[in-house]
Amino acid sequence: MNKIAKFFLYLLLTCSGLFVVTFTIYILNLDMKMTSMIEPFLLRHYDRIDRDQHL
Amino acid sequence: MAIKKFETMKNPEPIKGDKRYGDLYKPGGKVRKRREWRGVGDTLYDYWRWLGILMTLGKFAVVPRNVKAMFRYRWMANYLAVPMMVDRFTQGLRGEYLRMAHEQQDLIIIDVAKLLGNIFRGDRRIGNDEEFSKINVLVDENEMTAVMMGFPNLKSTSRETPSTYVSVLLNQHAAEHYIDVAQEFGLAGDVCPMPEAEAGVSIDDDAPVLGACAIQCNTTCDGSLLGNGVISRRLEKEDGIPVFQLPAPLRHKEDDVQEYAAEEIRRAIKFIEEHTGHKWDWDYYFECARRVNYATKCRNEWLDMNKTDYPQVFGGNLALYTETNYMAICGKVPEFERCDRRLMKLAEKAYKKQKMAAPEYRHRAIVWGVQSHFYMDFLVWLLNCWGIVPLTDMLSCINTEMIAETDTPENREQAYYDMAMLTEEMIMRNRTHGGYKVLLDDLFEFVEEYNADMIILWEHITCKALDGMHGLFEDRARERGIPLIWVDHQLFDPRVISRQGVRDQVNQYMRTVMQEEPLDPTLEILDDDNSW
Repeated sequence: MNKIAKFFLYLLLTCSGLFVVTFTIYILNLDMKMTSMIEPFLLRHYDRIDRDQHL
Repeated sequence: MAIKKFETMKNPEPIKGDKRYGDLYKPGGKVRKRREWRGVGDTLYDYWRWLGILMTLGKFAVVPRNVKAMFRYRWMANYLAVPMMVDRFTQGLRGEYLRMAHEQQDLIIIDVAKLLGNIFRGDRRIGNDEEFSKINVLVDENEMTAVMMGFPNLKSTSRETPSTYVSVLLNQHAAEHYIDVAQEFGLAGDVCPMPEAEAGVSIDDDAPVLGACAIQCNTTCDGSLLGNGVISRRLEKEDGIPVFQLPAPLRHKEDDVQEYAAEEIRRAIKFIEEHTGHKWDWDYYFECARRVNYATKCRNEWLDMNKTDYPQVFGGNLALYTETNYMAICGKVPEFERCDRRLMKLAEKAYKKQKMAAPEYRHRAIVWGVQSHFYMDFLVWLLNCWGIVPLTDMLSCINTEMIAETDTPENREQAYYDMAMLTEEMIMRNRTHGGYKVLLDDLFEFVEEYNADMIILWEHITCKALDGMHGLFEDRARERGIPLIWVDHQLFDPRVISRQGVRDQVNQYMRTVMQEEPLDPTLEILDDDNSW
């Protein structure tokens, strides 16, 4: 197999792999499931910030 | 009088993919079990758009000052939910409807990401770029930005848009903390929670600090005056940012207020010139005016389509896009004109093919009143659950007139009146103020024009302007034989009336008065109190 054909084969395999991974994240809503787990930590962090609260 | 009833229309094309949308909800969960399957073509399209949204978020997140802001401002946590907001607004949509929704939603996301980037660049706590801060003019969240149409090198920057307005679209619970803070400091609990939450952000020391000056407006009501008072005190006395009060007349239909309104616009422009050192540019003004007119022309045509049996651009996406394009953009961003063209193309294509967005259209409804902001995708639910087509809503029924767009001496004078008109007739205030003609009479004229057989009437329980008309709406609907469904809510606070509380009011009416069964029974009761 010449170099150009190999390059396109690797490109195809990489793109297919990326598609499978990202599509799985998309359809199973894994991105939102993950960010929903981050939110409580952020809220606790905001509670600890000193604020100049006044009218 | 006999009750008016629209004849049910069945969609000849089957809806591909999922049909039981309620099954996607995880009871008590913050997010859904999985994304919707829309058939191969539409799922891949939605996936492609999802990647685009991740790219927008990714570009935003690689800027270090934006990450710093994420850890400083509580309201930034809501932006974790951006992709889910799009999922909510596109539920059940296929083909051209899905594409139109993405055109609208994705552009709004890009625009808000740019706004956030600008805010944090100039913010004294984050980027502290002093030179950049000087080209920002702060405006309210619910303020028409027409007075900025002649300043090509200035930015009209609303801190309240990302901190409260968009936040509540993303996460229904976003404003609760700020409402509580405002009330802890003695602000009344029975005012509109929108200005109250905005005041709460300022009291909580959670508003970015930037800008050469600020323009506050009395849109939309006395509640916004309350919030502005608290915010301007901090801006002027502590941050050293001068504030101009732009009091647009509330009796906006009366001829005798227009000269005063135009004079206020002149004064606002002069104030901006004085505090920024930038001069008004008539060429840029008329360029923006042409884009405003194009947006008005497109919106008028979409609304005309919605008067036929085959409405195309409607629902929550129309309301949100109109609000952004009319108020915040106001001709200043060319990309919105390009988006209008793409939307028009898609709408015309679907109209020619006589496409329908749901399996059945059972009722044609005019949605009126101030919408529940924490449940703006309720209009999609109406369509999917009960087959009620939300033909238009109060927020989308704004200016239909063209403004002067060629540069002549006469038009330069007319321009002040045009800017005054756009400001006076800003979204929501053009209906909640100005007398019963614009709020009550116009509604029933729209019912006739759109051949509607139902009214969904939001009752924002702390909006005094609208609540005072309750009995008049009922009397008029009874006279005309139009079923009217009241939907109580408290705009930004789902603790008072939950999303299910909102849905129940429609469910009960549809089952008891209309004696109907839902199109998708899985959507009737959803355990989404904890959801974003």
